[in-house]
Amino acid sequence: MRAELLIPAGFIVLVAPARAVTYLSVEQAQQAIFPGAKFTPDFRKLTDAEVARIEKESDTTAYSREVKCWKVDAGGWFIVDEVIGKHEFITYAVGLDAGGAVQGIEIMDYRETHGGEIRQPSWRAQFHGRKHGEALKLEDDIQNISGATLSCKHVTDGVRRLLTFYDLVLKGR
Amino acid sequence: MLIRARPLLGTLVEIRAAGGNAASVSRAITAAFDVIAEVHRLMSFHEPDSDVSRLNRLAHREAVQVDAQTWEVLACALELSRGSGGLFDCAIAPRLVRLGYLPRTPGVESGVDASSAHIELLAGHRVRFLKPLAIDLGGIAKGYAVDQAIRRLQNHGIGTACVNAGGDLRVLGDRNWPVLIRLPAAPRRAFLPVTIRQQALATTAHYFTARVENDRVVTPLIDPRTGRCRTENHNVSVAAPSCMLADALTKVVWLSGDAWHPLLARHRARAIVLPGEREGGCAGAA
Repeated sequence: MRAELLIPAGFIVLVAPARAVTYLSVEQAQQAIFPGAKFTPDFRKLTDAEVARIEKESDTTAYSREVKCWKVDAGGWFIVDEVIGKHEFITYAVGLDAGGAVQGIEIMDYRETHGGEIRQPSWRAQFHGRKHGEALKLEDDIQNISGATLSCKHVTDGVRRLLTFYDLVLKGR
Repeated sequence: MLIRARPLLGTLVEIRAAGGNAASVSRAITAAFDVIAEVHRLMSFHEPDSDVSRLNRLAHREAVQVDAQTWEVLACALELSRGSGGLFDCAIAPRLVRLGYLPRTPGVESGVDASSAHIELLAGHRVRFLKPLAIDLGGIAKGYAVDQAIRRLQNHGIGTACVNAGGDLRVLGDRNWPVLIRLPAAPRRAFLPVTIRQQALATTAHYFTARVENDRVVTPLIDPRTGRCRTENHNVSVAAPSCMLADALTKVVWLSGDAWHPLLARHRARAIVLPGEREGGCAGAA
């Protein structure tokens, strides 16, 4: 079979709205990383001193003072966090096992803009407290994009920050 | 349709799949991510224990045994290198280190004069370098990982799926998949819609990786014939039966500028070249 590329008549150039995908709700991300486990919320408010120390030791920026943690019944932690790139805003979850090692990372929500609004709290606020759980629907309107690679550096940095947070705040609890 | 994404291979890898109940589809997706993580572990330039790092450290002194998967990717890379007259070359790692696209690694900078013609594949999945050189499989392993993930999904009984590793993707199933190709002139806003079916599509451009250094545009697209990076702003997408071929062939077409490069027909692949224009005064995006 020869590969075929079908280009619609007229060579349409689509000016698309900014890309936004919801992958998993909190519950779905929990089950994806720790199947069958039970979770107890244990959100943490960081002090100024803790934020400064975490930022210094992990060489990253903390965007929020509150860390959304859940204790896993069989041991370990489930943490939901957000990172902000130049053009993207990503919500993701990290599972840590009982020894603090990364058990899994799942992207929950990905938002891309072509403007500069991503660093404005008001733009990001519209996604907070939003009802998740729509991710299981067939979403044909969400299209695949083929293009040069977007880096996942910000998520990698975020995970490093959370591991530092674990060492300083959660470890041994 | 279930959609999940994980940070792997230095990018966001997205898997969508359907076929059966949600729990079994989710298990299949997890298994497919595991396969991609394994390819990452074997072929990452950044991981000190990967096959690639071991080869770069040791293979110019002795034959080094690698995993069968690494071997398979290397064999394909060398075949494409020969077929393209050296336009595809996985031995450009030292140049990428110099430009800051790969991390500095002891000994790696010494191999700037070598090419993949100095890589020898021996029996028993062993590899030897005929002179000090360094490889980076970044231009081909992502596609291979996508192929392996598709295979794993099929083994789990998944009939409809798409695996997209940062824009290099492959689709499965008896349906047409719409895909948007970013236009180089405005990669966040404007797209060319195409449709693919039972095949892979990969794209190479530098609109997200180019940067300006000392008033010069720098990109990670190295022309092995000159050792210098190239800065044209075109976008090349290749459709092929496998994502490994699609991924690697985008580099051949991008560097040659030839949308009808003979290697394409030989591998039953086709290319789209989208001409680039500079986006309103933004040199960094050029």
